[in-house]
Amino acid sequence: MSATTTAVTRRPPPWRDVRVLRLALQALFLLGVVSLVLFLLDNLVFNLRRLGIETGFGFLDQPAGFAIPDSDFRSSQDIQAAILQGARTTVVVALAGIVLATLLGVVVGVARLSTNWLVRRTAALYVETFRNVPVLVIIVFLYLAVFLRLPPISRAVEWVDVLVLSNRGLVVPWLRGTGSTGSFLLAALVVLALAAGVWVWRTRRFDRTGEKHRRVLWAGATLLAGLAVAFVATGRPYGLSLPERGDLGVANGFRVGPEFAALLFGLVLYTASHIAEIVRGSIQAVARGQTEAANALGLSEFQRLRLVVLPQAFRIAIPPLANQFLNLTKNSSLGIAVSVYEVTKVTRVSISQGAPAPQAIAILMLVYLVFSLTIAFFTNLANRRLTLP
Amino acid sequence: MRSSRTFGLATLVTAAVLLTAGCSLGGDDDDGGSEAAGTQTGATTTTGGGGGGGQGGNVLGAVQSRGTLNCGVNEAVPGFGFVTEGGEFQGFDIDYCRVVAAAVLGDADAVEYKPLTAEQRFTALQSGEIDVLIRNTTRTASRDGSEGATFLTTTFYDGQGMMVRADSDYQELEDLAGATICVLSGTTTELNLESQFQARGVEYTPLAFEDNDPLQQAFTAERCDAWTSDKSQLAGVRSNWPEGQGGPEALRILDVTMSKEPLGPVVRDGDSNWASAVDWAILATMQAEEFDISSENIDEALESDDPEVRRFLGQPAEEDGSVFDPGLGLPTDFAVNVIREVGNYEEIYNRNVGPDSALGLERGLNALWTDGGLHYPPPYR
Repeated sequence: MSATTTAVTRRPPPWRDVRVLRLALQALFLLGVVSLVLFLLDNLVFNLRRLGIETGFGFLDQPAGFAIPDSDFRSSQDIQAAILQGARTTVVVALAGIVLATLLGVVVGVARLSTNWLVRRTAALYVETFRNVPVLVIIVFLYLAVFLRLPPISRAVEWVDVLVLSNRGLVVPWLRGTGSTGSFLLAALVVLALAAGVWVWRTRRFDRTGEKHRRVLWAGATLLAGLAVAFVATGRPYGLSLPERGDLGVANGFRVGPEFAALLFGLVLYTASHIAEIVRGSIQAVARGQTEAANALGLSEFQRLRLVVLPQAFRIAIPPLANQFLNLTKNSSLGIAVSVYEVTKVTRVSISQGAPAPQAIAILMLVYLVFSLTIAFFTNLANRRLTLP
Repeated sequence: MRSSRTFGLATLVTAAVLLTAGCSLGGDDDDGGSEAAGTQTGATTTTGGGGGGGQGGNVLGAVQSRGTLNCGVNEAVPGFGFVTEGGEFQGFDIDYCRVVAAAVLGDADAVEYKPLTAEQRFTALQSGEIDVLIRNTTRTASRDGSEGATFLTTTFYDGQGMMVRADSDYQELEDLAGATICVLSGTTTELNLESQFQARGVEYTPLAFEDNDPLQQAFTAERCDAWTSDKSQLAGVRSNWPEGQGGPEALRILDVTMSKEPLGPVVRDGDSNWASAVDWAILATMQAEEFDISSENIDEALESDDPEVRRFLGQPAEEDGSVFDPGLGLPTDFAVNVIREVGNYEEIYNRNVGPDSALGLERGLNALWTDGGLHYPPPYR
């Protein structure tokens, strides 16, 4: 045995070389996935052709034939426009739902940790009820048992000629655009930019000199003053549109229909119960030492919450919150049960009126993917800004 | 040791991939030939029954070997497709499912009923989940063309109507200006409503639901002012209207027909053998009424000397004792099974939607051609 032989590094043969094998396996796996996908696509195309159903996306240019209530969509417009209109509704439901659910969820979540027994128990009752009921049941219940039970239009409740409530919706006064609305909005944009500039200026001044910045006051004042000037300068950019009750409905004003309300409130109540639990958990995850230190500094309970606990809890809560926002957006598809024309319902109606199902559903999935990725993008932004360095 | 395990894994993966790749990509020929038949859905590879010329699938063979017929139906329209309290399916369309089963399988009860919504029905048919769709479906050009569907003989000539509350004073469609109108989504009704009101220049608000339950609730709660659907469906709903809300007298169907709605069974494109078989099963019921053969006198009819009747019932001909076989793939005495187990058109009609039933619909256009109606079965020869 020679003890001084230097070890010779020889590459093992390819079939025993781990690096080669890894690459080969990955390539094979990729090949397998690609061929599976191609096989499925080929199968689909073959069967669609055999049945005489078109395999392209030409159906998007066909006239829809059906009407979408509460919108400017005409049945002679094409299916593409219908899907866009549905997507618009989904965006409205999702945005309004996210904002309202977060507000309600934070309030209930904090309430669950209150020292007041009644507040705590009520919040717990709310959370336990709405978390354990499927959201579709909540939506359908709200529609059939609550909103449809409002008085019919013949016996509508009117409040000082300003509000009209019936089971056809709640109608409130609204702003009606006039000719000068466009220029007013342009001016408003300019004023907004100005106010942002004032905000930044006051913050920089604070950083430089240490004087109180009072930036909210300054920027707010600039905004209000600017808007007032723009309002006067452009004449009457907005008129008031008051609801007028007829026999079959209410003209003018802004109407929130019972179907839309059932969907929105169902989603908000359900998602808020989940958000409440997330908020509660994230508050409880903030180290006890922080609360004790805040108390030692003499901060009131509200100050402690706002300045110490919530900022740290927020950091922890963002990923699960993002999850709930995505869930709410996707749950908006339950509007089909109560006849809300969001994008899923529009797609389903198009399919039943002749659009080929695989392509239409593919487009639907794409729409939801875009929404989800957008929400994920913004929450990731927030996440990154708040991570501890 | 580790490398030999990796090597074994690699071999397994390669083998799996090669197998999949080998079976796939069987070419996308447009002539419908089932070349890569083993992995394509919706078709078996046995040759078509009876005469040649069947392209693609063989539903007839599949149904016969399975022993039951998958029938797509409605479960919420009284008179046509409805589930009773005992869980039984009942109705005009249900009876026609039984007609097809009696003709193809010899047993009218060998049916698997699959309730479908208006939005699901064509996808279910296209995918092969059901063999035949008998669900008050209107024949239209776009359904014939782009839904991959073949429509068979119309069994019920209907029209679209409008139902309002009896205490309102609507008489014409123009009176409904500004009204909210409830409709089922995914139906020709929805499209007709839009085009009829557009043609009249009348504004209205549609409220389209997936199925009749929330629609009925909305109509009862006065959320909508009118309900539009096929007149036969409206008659069915009206007949079932609960006493607590005024019973049938609380509703009125306007004397307006908004469209033609020829309702009939539907099969998938691409299997003309199956289409012919189902078609003639249906026509047998009308031919039976024309010959005055019903489930009550079928046994006497079997003894008849009339050569037309004998041929129709699959009886041996007088002269040489041969039995007529049109080559449809059905048993030669399928008409006997149909009539005996389900009945002729008149019996099916009267049992479910006739003047003495809850719906109370007169034959009208649904009478035989000999009585001034539209049903005209081609000669069985």
